[in-house]
Formats: sequence, structure tokens, C-alpha cells
Amino acid sequence: MTAHASFEHHRPDDLAAALGLLAELGTAARAIAGGTDLVPQLRAGKLVPDHLVSLNRITELAALTTTPEGGLRIGAGVRIASVAAHPAVQRHWPGLAHACTVMATTQVRHMGTIAGNLCNGSPCADTSGPLLAAEANLEIASIRGNRSVALDGFHRAAKDVDLSADELVIAIVLPPPPPRSGGSYLRISARSRVDMAAAGVAARLSLAADGTIDRPRLAISAVAPTPLRCPDAEALLQGQLPDESLLAGAASACMATARPIDDVRASAAWRRMVVGVLTRRALTGALAMARGGAS
Amino acid sequence: MKTPPAPAIIGRPTPRLDSREKVTGRAVYTDDLKMPGMLHGALLRSPHAHARIVAIDTAKARALPGVKDVLTGADLLPVKYGNWRLVPDLQDETALATDRVRFIGDEVAAVCALDRATAEAACALIEVQYELLPVALSVEDALAEGAPTLHDHRPDNLSLVREIDYGDVDGAFERAAHVQSDTFQVQPVSHGYLEPCSTVAAMDEGRRVTLWTSTQTPYIVQCLLASTLGLAENDVRVVKLKVGGGFGGKMELRPWDVAAAAMAMRTGRPVKFTLSRHDELAFGRRRHAMTLRCRTAFAADGQILARELDVLLDGGAYNAMGATAAFLCGNFGAMLYRIPAYRYRGRYVYTNKPPASAMRGFGAPQALFAGESQMNVAAVALDMDPIDLRIRNAQQAGDVIPGVAMVRSCGFIECLEQVREMSGWAEKRANATPGRGLGVAGYSFISGGVFNWFDTKYHFSSCEVRVFHDGTAHLLTMATDIGQGSDTVLRQILAAELGIDIDKIRLTAADTAHTPKADLGTWGSRVTLMVGNAVRDAAAKIKDMLAGVAFAEYDLNQIHDIAFADNRVFVRAKPKRGMAFGDCVYKALRARRGEPLTAYGFYTPRNKGLVTPTFSFGAQVAEVAVDSETGLVTVQQMYTAHDCGVPINPLAVEGQLEGSIHMGLGYALSEELVMDGARTVNTTLLDYKMPAAEDMPPSESVEVITADPEGPFGAKEVGEGLVSPTAPAIADAVDMAVGVRVRDLPITPEKVLRGMGKLGD
Repeated sequence: MTAHASFEHHRPDDLAAALGLLAELGTAARAIAGGTDLVPQLRAGKLVPDHLVSLNRITELAALTTTPEGGLRIGAGVRIASVAAHPAVQRHWPGLAHACTVMATTQVRHMGTIAGNLCNGSPCADTSGPLLAAEANLEIASIRGNRSVALDGFHRAAKDVDLSADELVIAIVLPPPPPRSGGSYLRISARSRVDMAAAGVAARLSLAADGTIDRPRLAISAVAPTPLRCPDAEALLQGQLPDESLLAGAASACMATARPIDDVRASAAWRRMVVGVLTRRALTGALAMARGGAS
Repeated sequence: MKTPPAPAIIGRPTPRLDSREKVTGRAVYTDDLKMPGMLHGALLRSPHAHARIVAIDTAKARALPGVKDVLTGADLLPVKYGNWRLVPDLQDETALATDRVRFIGDEVAAVCALDRATAEAACALIEVQYELLPVALSVEDALAEGAPTLHDHRPDNLSLVREIDYGDVDGAFERAAHVQSDTFQVQPVSHGYLEPCSTVAAMDEGRRVTLWTSTQTPYIVQCLLASTLGLAENDVRVVKLKVGGGFGGKMELRPWDVAAAAMAMRTGRPVKFTLSRHDELAFGRRRHAMTLRCRTAFAADGQILARELDVLLDGGAYNAMGATAAFLCGNFGAMLYRIPAYRYRGRYVYTNKPPASAMRGFGAPQALFAGESQMNVAAVALDMDPIDLRIRNAQQAGDVIPGVAMVRSCGFIECLEQVREMSGWAEKRANATPGRGLGVAGYSFISGGVFNWFDTKYHFSSCEVRVFHDGTAHLLTMATDIGQGSDTVLRQILAAELGIDIDKIRLTAADTAHTPKADLGTWGSRVTLMVGNAVRDAAAKIKDMLAGVAFAEYDLNQIHDIAFADNRVFVRAKPKRGMAFGDCVYKALRARRGEPLTAYGFYTPRNKGLVTPTFSFGAQVAEVAVDSETGLVTVQQMYTAHDCGVPINPLAVEGQLEGSIHMGLGYALSEELVMDGARTVNTTLLDYKMPAAEDMPPSESVEVITADPEGPFGAKEVGEGLVSPTAPAIADAVDMAVGVRVRDLPITPEKVLRGMGKLGD
């Protein structure tokens, strides 16, 4: 149970060296930053890599910066707690800031990274929902070259992401939020803290001059094999004036998108129901923020 | 003449003497031990819930380089053990399986090797041929016609049946104005102690085996290990180091203790076993799941006329400490109120699951969840305030519970009045806000047990006190501090008796080779009362030795009394006539021509019924908010008033209160060892939902002080009883908030929504 095979620990100083190692070692290697998901899997014998390639000495991955056009670039080495504490994140991506404040534990938030949270491939990754709602893109590098992909579609199945063995997610890039926009992320679990979400809903939307909803984005997590966008709910909201029945309709659409299972954390029926409740509440919060009320 | 007031050290908030060591990581726990040549052990456990062992082949495991010994049941004496030595039929366990396994995790073989990874690899090489047997996974299955039998000496799978019957129960139900009838279900939960079980065995003295083990009961482990291995008790030494919590889960001899000792004897090298968190949750002891059918008969004015309680206890594969749970559940079914007629039947059922055993409260949390929930439901039916209904029936000092015990001191009514006042009960209950609720429950608990189930030949508690001419003292006792703080409290009691500073007292505890026989250990909230009284007994003998010195020194008339305070021995009526404590010891030593001043103290409860020398009491109010859309319950505030007699160390009392609320909160809302058939599903602390520190609600408490005649300086129980009221109080608050009465714990969001009709099955 606690036996774990030995592995070689590489600590490259720059990105090129790291990519070189990943290309050379292939599936025998795993990249490690905070290790908060990886190390427990090593200890449990669920992963048996021969090599670990640490990203922690690569300073270019550690940057958290706003882009000139008002977006955000989160380097793969940026700790979850740094994102939570960043003023621009708190102001423009409150859903992400909230996820980074309430997920896991203080210790994990100070070690773990956003990139790791996504690449671990867990359907209940707390940052996945707000990042999907923010229309995040991933910058992926390898010695073969760089590519940029939308986060939407990166999770292919449970524990399966669109990343080859020689590739590394080097940054998460968020486009600038539209004007008059608001966002929210809500999660629920049996414990209020130090727990995995049993269900999560993220919402982001903006309001047009006539008060109709524009560019609504909804994402759900922990209720399907991967985090999911909710296109039906988004289509229902687009161009509409918000009212109770519209939000109820969006909530029903999200519930229909969810494909929850029964497990030790919760039943499928309760998860589906809670998706509806959280959707309505997340939209209400996002709307209030877009209108300039409490965020 | 007035009794002198209690010394100031009694009731003084006194930090644990080992807290700095623990917080800085320097405290030594069993797993920290490293010895030259030490081997590391691993256990092979059964993958089947019920099977016959046809053959075990250990050849490949023995051949693995680094493996030093492999042990199976055939290598051990065919001795069954168990804590209930008084009733040999209840001793139904062997350290390693011989012919049958009865639950997933049942220990089959043990290996020791140069390192743990090798030992674990060797376990995987042991080939066991099993013949699967039919299983009984629930109490209903186990009691059904044609059910498979777990133990041949109990063909009906009933390990024991405990019955209590007094008063005219049937007549009372016939004339009752209201009969409250409910069925309650409570779930298995884990102790969740921070330190997993760990043990190290080594040989010394040529033939003595010393066992350092994380235990609550060194004496019980010593005796049972000796009988299991065919040794004299004196050839087994058990030492307790720091222990990271027990909560009842470390009060038995366990297979790894036996395996470590046997393999240390066979190899001549020290052997260590330390369990993993997975082992603890998957296979470990747990609190009994129970089905409780409870009927209570009330007169129109709310007076309780009778109660009938029928309980099925899910015992798992072995009895362990189960008999005590069946007994105490019966006792606590009739505690708190004056119940003139009572009928109890507790049936202890074997099932093919990990054994349940002792856990904090031990039968009381289950009985009181049922009983206290019934009081709240009945109050509605009787149109009475639930606190008034309780006061109408509350036990008081002097009450006798037929056949078992007498209530010597009791602050229950004061506790109920206090929580009513503190919580703003009247106003909040009258002006209900949807989604908000306030609920109440009471509790009582024992201050140590009287019934001698271990069949000890020694006093229940003992100690030795030595005093020296440098003004210091040495207290030696088997009392077992597992984190509750008894090492500090016992020093406070000795400091108070001898009138010396607490930092002048050295302590040697829980080493069976060096501390006087015996002490039964830490369970049943017994240590402060029982060992505390033993300390007072020894101190009185020491003071007798010293008083004579003062009488001779000051040529005193024998009507005088000698006082011990401020590190001095003096004439009580003439405090200036006195000397330093150390000087008095010096003079006594001279008078005794060098014979050291040492005294033994003992305590055994006599003429105290069959349950406990004295009971604690208390009441608690929980204030909750319920999200009516998600069903999530948030406890916003706890109010507690409790009567633990005279608190000796208020800091330790506060710690027990906080810890009890934490444990009660998990029992009420989130904790459950979830079973998939015979297998425990949630074997990590991520999925076993113990509340986190951040889940703890704010809490207010008051002490209702009763001076108990039996407890040392009036002290009573505080370690366990408080875990009981939290769940029924929260259940009552949830009912007020959203109109859903949950009778099966834990109160999950789904159960709340189902109760509200918002979620289908």
C-alpha cells in the first residue's frame, strides 16, 4: 500500500531543458510542480513513473501577469494561493478567485498550481469551472513547437486530457472580460472546507446596453466524467432579459447537461438537483455584479 | 469545624505539561522508536468476508531476501482472547486466523523483514487457499432462518442478549395518554485518532518481552499478551509512550501486538508494526451501528410512565468490547429521567464485517440519540416545551436507578435552565424564522465503571507516591494519558494534597514494570475519579508520616491539625509554626533511620451499584441554518451547560467540550463508514467526512458545579458524555428549521431534501 518504486528527480533550470527531458523520457516521466495531486498518487502506487521533471526552478513559468489588452496569463508554476490573492483576479474573475480561496486546504493552495489542477484531469477540479466560464485557453509547449487550445475540450474523459507525453501546459490565458460583466463560482460538499466538491457551477455573463444578457457562459464540475460547458443553457440566456423564469430555464438546461453518478460523496439525483440550485444562484450573483451591485 | 477550602491548584487552568513537546514535534510516539536491528512488520489480511482457510503456503514469502520471519495462526497457541475475561465465551478472537476468516481485513499472517516494503512484498507472496462461505452482512441477514453461522459456539449469531426489566411496563403503556413510538438507525463511525496504531516488541532480561504500544490499557494488554503467548504476566512489560488519541479504539490487545511480540521472541530482534490510515478506516474498530426501537409512555401532564427499548447492535465479526456497548446502551436508555418502569433488550449480533467496539460514549450516543429525539418529538405531541418536559421528568440527586446505581450528585435541571437562558430559547422558539432552528438534548455519563468484566485481581486504580528531602515528589501510576491530560490532572491532585508546587512533582506512568499494579486504563471516563482517589489515598499516608514529625517538633497537643500548603508543613491553627516540606521529609527520614518515604494508594469502587460511582449530566442547545434548496445543514452556534462536578483543570475540560462538539458534529451530519456489502468504501480522510477545524461552530458553555461526594475534590466525568447530546440537539434544530425529523444518522442534505419531499428516492 505504501510501497513506492524509486524514481529519478530532474530539476531543469529552464523551459527548454524541461521540454527536452519530457521529449527524451516520454511516458516514463511526469512533470511535477506542487505535487499535491501527483504525490498522493505516487504513494498509493497509482502512478509509477521512472522520472519526475520538476518545474519549480523554471522562473518563466512562475509569472502571473495581466496582458496589455486586459486579460490574464497564469504561468504553469503559479500557486493557487497567488491567484486567489491577485487584485486583478479578485476584481475581474471573482469566480476563479473564489475557487482558489475555498478549494482544498491552506497547505495545498500554497503548493498546488492551476495548471496542475487542470492537468490532473479530475472532473471535480475547482478551477476548471470558472476557467471554462472565462473562456480560458491553454498554451502548450513541446520541442515540436507550441500550440494554443481552448480549455473547453481539453478534458477528453475522466483522468484523460489532450496532452501528449512530451508536452507541457506552460500557461493558462484568459481573454479580457467583456464590459459590464460578472462572474460567480459556487460549490457544495459535505464538509464546508477541506473537501472535494460534490458539485460545482460557474457562471460568467455580461449585460448589453438594453439590459439583455450577452456572452453567457456556464460550466459545471463534479457532475460528469469531465468538467462541462453548458451550451444549451447558454443559448437559452443569450440576448434575453433576465428574469426568474429565464434563470429557472437555464438551471433546468444545466441539470439536463449534467451526467452525475452515485458515489460515496453524493447521489446522482441530489447532484443533479443541486446543479439547478447552484446555477440559479451563480447566475443571480453574476447578474448583480454585472449591474455593478455587490460582486 | 469548617472543612478547609480546596487548594488553589484545584480549578486552576493548568496547561498540559507536554504540550510544548507535542506542538514542536519532539514528543516521542511509538512509531518514532528506532532500535538496533529492528525489523518491520506487515500483515496479510483476508480479502474475503467469510471463508474457510484450506491451506497457507508461506514458502515464497520466506524465500524473499530480507524476510526474517513469517507467522501464521498455526505458529501461535490456540488461545482466544478478548477484554471480557470474566465471560470466556465472549473471548472469541485469535491474533491470526487459524481455520476461518470472518471479515474483509481479518488478519491471516504476519511478516517481518529488514524494511517495510520488503515485508509488504512478502505478504503478497503468501499463498492462501480459501473456500468461500456464505456471508451475513446485516443484522437482519444474520438473524434470519438458515443464516450462516460465524462462530460455532453461537449458532444463532447472537453473541449476547442483555435484558433489563423493572416496574409495570405493560400496565403503564395501557394507561398512557401518549405513547411515543419510533425507530432510529445510527451508523458506524471511526474514532479518527491522529496516530494510527503502532507497536514495537523487543526481548530483554533473556526472556522478558517488552512491548511499546499505542494503547489506552497497558495492564490489559500485558495480561492478555501473556496468556496468549503462554508467558507469565511478569514476563511481559508494556510501556506506553505518547499516544495520539484513542477514543476507545486502543483499549484491546490487537493482532499486531501479538505478532510483534511473537516474532521478537522468535528472531531475537525488535519488531515494529505501524498501521496506515487506510488500514484504520478499512478494517479498524468502529462505533456500533444500531437499530433502536423505542417506545415511551407519557401521562397527559408529560410525566414519563414507562419506556421500552429494543436494540439490535451490529457487532461485526468478533465480540471485542461489544458486551459493554449492549450493557451501557441499556443503562443510558433509562438515564436522565425518572422512569418507573423500563424494559430493555439489546441483542448483539455477529455479522461478516469489521468488528465494532468501544468508542467514546460507548452505547450512550446511540441510546441518547433515540431517547432525546423521542423527548423532542413527544413534546410536540404533548404540546409542551421540550425543556419543560425534561425538567418535569429530570433525575435529581438521591434518585435510585433500580438494580444498578444511585445518582449521587446531579445538576441536570440547572443545566437545562442554563442553556434555556444562554441560547435565548424562549424568544427564538416562539419567533421561528424559516430555515433557522434551535434544538435541545441532554446527556448523562458514567465516571468510570464498577462491573469487573476484566476480572482483575488487583485494585481498579493504584499509585505510588515517593517524597524526598529536596521538597519534590514522584508519582508512579499505570494511569494512561492518551492526550486527555490525566498526567497533568493527577499532578494537580497530588500537588493539592501535599501542598507543594506542581512543578516539584515528577511522574512515571503507564509502564507495567515500574508502576504499581494495577490500573484498568483509560476508558469509561474513569481516570480522574479512580486514579485521583488513589492519589489522595497515597498522599494521605505520606501526610500521616510527616504529621508526626511536626507533632514532635512543636510538641503539639493531639487536638491539633497539620496543614500542607505553599511547600510547607505547619500547624493549621498556628501557621507560623511550620517548616519547609523538604525539611519535614528530611526529619522523617532521620527518624526512620534512612527508610524512604513511600506510600501506595488504591481505589476500587465498593457499594456503588454495578455501573459507576457517580454520573455527570448536561444539556446542549444547537442553533442551525438549513438551506432548504440544497438540504445543507450549517451549525451556527452551540450552547452547553454541564455538570462534571468540580472541574480540576478547566483547560482540559474546555478541550473535552470542544472535541466532543467536533465528534458530535461529525456523527450528526457527515461521518459514516460507508459499506458496499462487506467492504468499507471510504478509507481516506478525504472521503471519510470528519469535520474540519473550519467547520467548528462557535460555542458557549457554562459549568454547573456540583460537589460530588465520591470524586476527588468533587470531580466527575467530562471525557465522553458530551459527545451524546450534539446529534439529537442538531436533529431537533433541523426539525424546527424545515420540519423534517431525521431518525437515521447522519443527517445528510439528501435526507433533509427527501424529508421535504423535494427529492425522490
